[in-house]
Amino acid sequence: MKALFKAVAAAGIVAVALTGCGSSSTAGPAAAPAADLSTVKYEGSVSVITRYAGGNAAFFEKMAKDYEAAHPGVKVNLQQESDQGYKDKIKTLTASQNVPDVYFTWAGNYAEQFYDNGLALDLTNVIAPKTEWGSTMAPQALDAFTKDGKTYGVPLGLDAKYMVYNKKLFADAGVSVPTDLEGLLASCKSLKAKNIVPMSFGNKDGWPAIHYITQLNSYNVPAGTLDKDYKPATASFDDPGYKQSLDQFARIVDECTTTGKGANGTDYYSQRDAFGQGKAAMFYVENLEFAAAVPKGSPAETDGYDLFRLPAPAGAKGDTKALTGAPDGFLINSKAKNPALAVDFMKFVTSKQNAETLASTIGFPSPVTGTLNESNSTPQLRSSIEDLQKASRLSIWLDTVTVPGVADAYLSGVEGMISGTKTSQDVMTAVKAASDQAK
Amino acid sequence: MTSPVRLWPIIGRLVLTGFLLGLVIVVLYPLLWMFISSMKSNSEILGNPFAWPGSLDFSSYGRAVDRGVGTYLFNSVLVTAVSVVSTTLLSAWAAFGLTRINIPFSKPILMIIVGGLMLAPTVALVPLVKLMQSWGLYDTYWALIILYTAFRVPFTTFLIRSYMIDLPIDVDEAAVLDGASRRQTFWRVTMPMCTPIIVSAVILQVLFAWNEFLFALIFIGSDSLKTLPVGLATLSSRAVTDFPSVFAGMTIAAVPMIVLFILGQRYFVRGLAEGVGR
Amino acid sequence: MSTQEKTFPPPGLSAAAAGTPVPRRRKPARKKNTWHGLIWVLPGLVTLFLFVYYPLVLNFRYSLETSNIFTGQQRFVGLDNYTRLAADPIFWKALGNNCLYAGISIVCQVFFALVLASLIENLRNERFRAILRSVYFLPSAISLTVTGLLFAFMYQPQGGLLNGLLDAVGLDSLQQAWLGNPDTAMLGIIMMSQWQGFGYCTLLFAVAIQRIPRDLYEASALDGIGPVRQIFSITIPLVREMTGLMMIVTISGAFQVFNEVMVTTSGGPDNSTQVLGTWLYRSGFVKNDFGYAAAIATVIFIITLALALIQVRYTNKRRV
Repeated sequence: MKALFKAVAAAGIVAVALTGCGSSSTAGPAAAPAADLSTVKYEGSVSVITRYAGGNAAFFEKMAKDYEAAHPGVKVNLQQESDQGYKDKIKTLTASQNVPDVYFTWAGNYAEQFYDNGLALDLTNVIAPKTEWGSTMAPQALDAFTKDGKTYGVPLGLDAKYMVYNKKLFADAGVSVPTDLEGLLASCKSLKAKNIVPMSFGNKDGWPAIHYITQLNSYNVPAGTLDKDYKPATASFDDPGYKQSLDQFARIVDECTTTGKGANGTDYYSQRDAFGQGKAAMFYVENLEFAAAVPKGSPAETDGYDLFRLPAPAGAKGDTKALTGAPDGFLINSKAKNPALAVDFMKFVTSKQNAETLASTIGFPSPVTGTLNESNSTPQLRSSIEDLQKASRLSIWLDTVTVPGVADAYLSGVEGMISGTKTSQDVMTAVKAASDQAK
Repeated sequence: MTSPVRLWPIIGRLVLTGFLLGLVIVVLYPLLWMFISSMKSNSEILGNPFAWPGSLDFSSYGRAVDRGVGTYLFNSVLVTAVSVVSTTLLSAWAAFGLTRINIPFSKPILMIIVGGLMLAPTVALVPLVKLMQSWGLYDTYWALIILYTAFRVPFTTFLIRSYMIDLPIDVDEAAVLDGASRRQTFWRVTMPMCTPIIVSAVILQVLFAWNEFLFALIFIGSDSLKTLPVGLATLSSRAVTDFPSVFAGMTIAAVPMIVLFILGQRYFVRGLAEGVGR
Repeated sequence: MSTQEKTFPPPGLSAAAAGTPVPRRRKPARKKNTWHGLIWVLPGLVTLFLFVYYPLVLNFRYSLETSNIFTGQQRFVGLDNYTRLAADPIFWKALGNNCLYAGISIVCQVFFALVLASLIENLRNERFRAILRSVYFLPSAISLTVTGLLFAFMYQPQGGLLNGLLDAVGLDSLQQAWLGNPDTAMLGIIMMSQWQGFGYCTLLFAVAIQRIPRDLYEASALDGIGPVRQIFSITIPLVREMTGLMMIVTISGAFQVFNEVMVTTSGGPDNSTQVLGTWLYRSGFVKNDFGYAAAIATVIFIITLALALIQVRYTNKRRV
């Protein structure tokens, strides 16, 4: 949810690197052993670690309690950490070979390192799209935890990035929802002419800009090329679409935001508040944050708000139906004592009823289809999920889909573009260099 | 003719006093602003920075505690307290050994201990992470307690030693003649005589352990084990737009050290002055 | 630059060692070496070896290796990490920032603090003197995280104290996102450090000045030398040693900066505020490039060791 942490999420993997020298770890990637998941013995315990400490802890606390009540004799050992705390904790746990049976992961490179090294159970037989369990979920969500045809993760929250807009401010300026990038820039002009801040934007942490780039890259670069370039071994980053994306982003910052060069010193959350306060007409935000961005009774709620995808540039060469976003997910430790029980617990957590609870307790839309209703969600959240299911695919955040070095080159490079110290060409040169370095 | 001669010193003094008081404002105003901001509402914080809060609202402190500041505070107290005891003991023992007993290799030992002062903690960071993990100390209170001790023993030993060395040795010898063992001499004779420098050493160690950030950032992962400096940084990203609660957390972290400084000022100054080399 | 680092200052081996050859009252009744007396120094020594010296040695080894993330295998790469370091513009940028830090800190925390201490100690009212010293010192007692967060707020474009101040005096054209602009961010952080650190140095200079015999001032006053000239003719020359020490401690601190940057900008925007410490952290703990991080650590080690050795020589000369 807090993508800030995604930026450095991959650091969690550090753990394993660090241990290596101390313990003679089983070297080399190991294929996850097949486990018998067909029969579940309801005894013993299942250990679970999440990154939902604090305000979001309630959901898993309830799940643990309910599961224990449903299966007397089973104990759920639940541990919930903050984002950063989780990242550090999983390092230690991996290092000491004490990974819990069920553990959280972000999608992308972060998750892949677990599968690639045999730390995650292959769940293809139970959760692939065609299976009984898998068919209850949005295929885009499963896709985010699938590699080489094998599905490893159980997706939990469905998260995607949308442009929210203030209906009243749009009406005041006489603009309608833009259908392409030029349209967006034009509406910014009209809004500015009415002295309305078209789009609030704060990039103090670097990742908010990266989310724009993720989406624009998907529009401008063909999907196959993207997949190839996001893996250092096959990357070349020579598609002209990358530079176009950066240039398009620069225009958005220039023509739609008023923070301009100051965006790097401006906090994302205070800009999100500005939208909620009705002080900006648009804001690019994850659907998980809708409730936080536009709290009940806030001016933006009174004005009315709705959403659209960041519009694609006309004639874009990439996949214009792709959407930036990624589900949170859970992996099953391949060395779990009772893997069937661990899988059963996650089945329980993602049952239709509990998926509804997920939305009603902490406002996370579940990837389980048809679980949002009027009692547990806002119309905006429901329409985002409906729209999400029309996406051809989910483009995982650029800063977690790639290796940390490439992510870092993008993060600092785009900051430099905003400040006016770097050109899009400089950024791509640095990205390419970082990618070569990671080979 | 005489008036300019008399006038200039007065003007000089006025300018000087004005300047010194101006500097007082530069120092105190941000601290005061921090405290005042903790009572403001979010929109007041984003509004005019010089304005007073609309009402005296201390609820931000409750929210800060709810977000973990209470736990961080407890951890800070614990880690600080234990590391103060261990650092002081280890250092006082070493200083005693180096000054009151004729041990072999005392010179190289002294060099080794005090030489630790020349090493920046950053330098050992990468290997320490690996070591702490393989020893199972990573992400425990012990990691911080041990490191706060190890990296402060050189300074504290130096401090205590330079005091002990000036104490008359006859008292020790008298105690030994009375049949006291070395241990008894240490506890009953030497330590009481060293009280002033021990107080200085303790205060400086408290200041160090309370405010330390680098080790606390790297060696603690669990939210429930974080100390205040790292916890506050976490709080500011978790509280997102609840700025008053961040200010409240900052105030909670700052006040104990300000109080400690005011109460123990004399010892502070002694320790610092000794530490930087007379 | 922080108190934390400064209370760490290498106060000089010599100052310690120099104490030894002055055995006025401890020489008598020396028996032969008592081996079991070593038990007193052993706990401290073992802790130091395990957690300070051993990692230090390991660091050199790591800086010659590259480690594979998941397999944990270490591969010897010779000086590879160092050649990469030499070719890394961000490393040089970071080193440059450390130097800038050191330069500004010398001006503010050594020269300014010295003048300030002289002025304070010149005041007649003892109470006023004590209060000023304490007030100026106050920021040094506060955690750098608190200072960092506080200044991040003060530098904020919206609701920030600095922009508010500029607005109040009619300089609103200068308003900006101080920490978001690569041209001002580093300077912003350095100035925050000065705010926090100048009082510490002032206090130490004040202590040194108090040790100057009063009659020197009285004698020169009889010669008709005014207070301002006294500062230059008596105070500053007589605290020369403290000045030298403070310079080294300050420079050494400037090369160990970490916390200040981490809590304000963590090196951004566009690496403009990267310092050696944060670049080490980012390389090792974010980008998983441990050999590289170890190489940066070696650079920090060499710089700080060199400074410490200069200090040892300095204090030695002074003592002898």
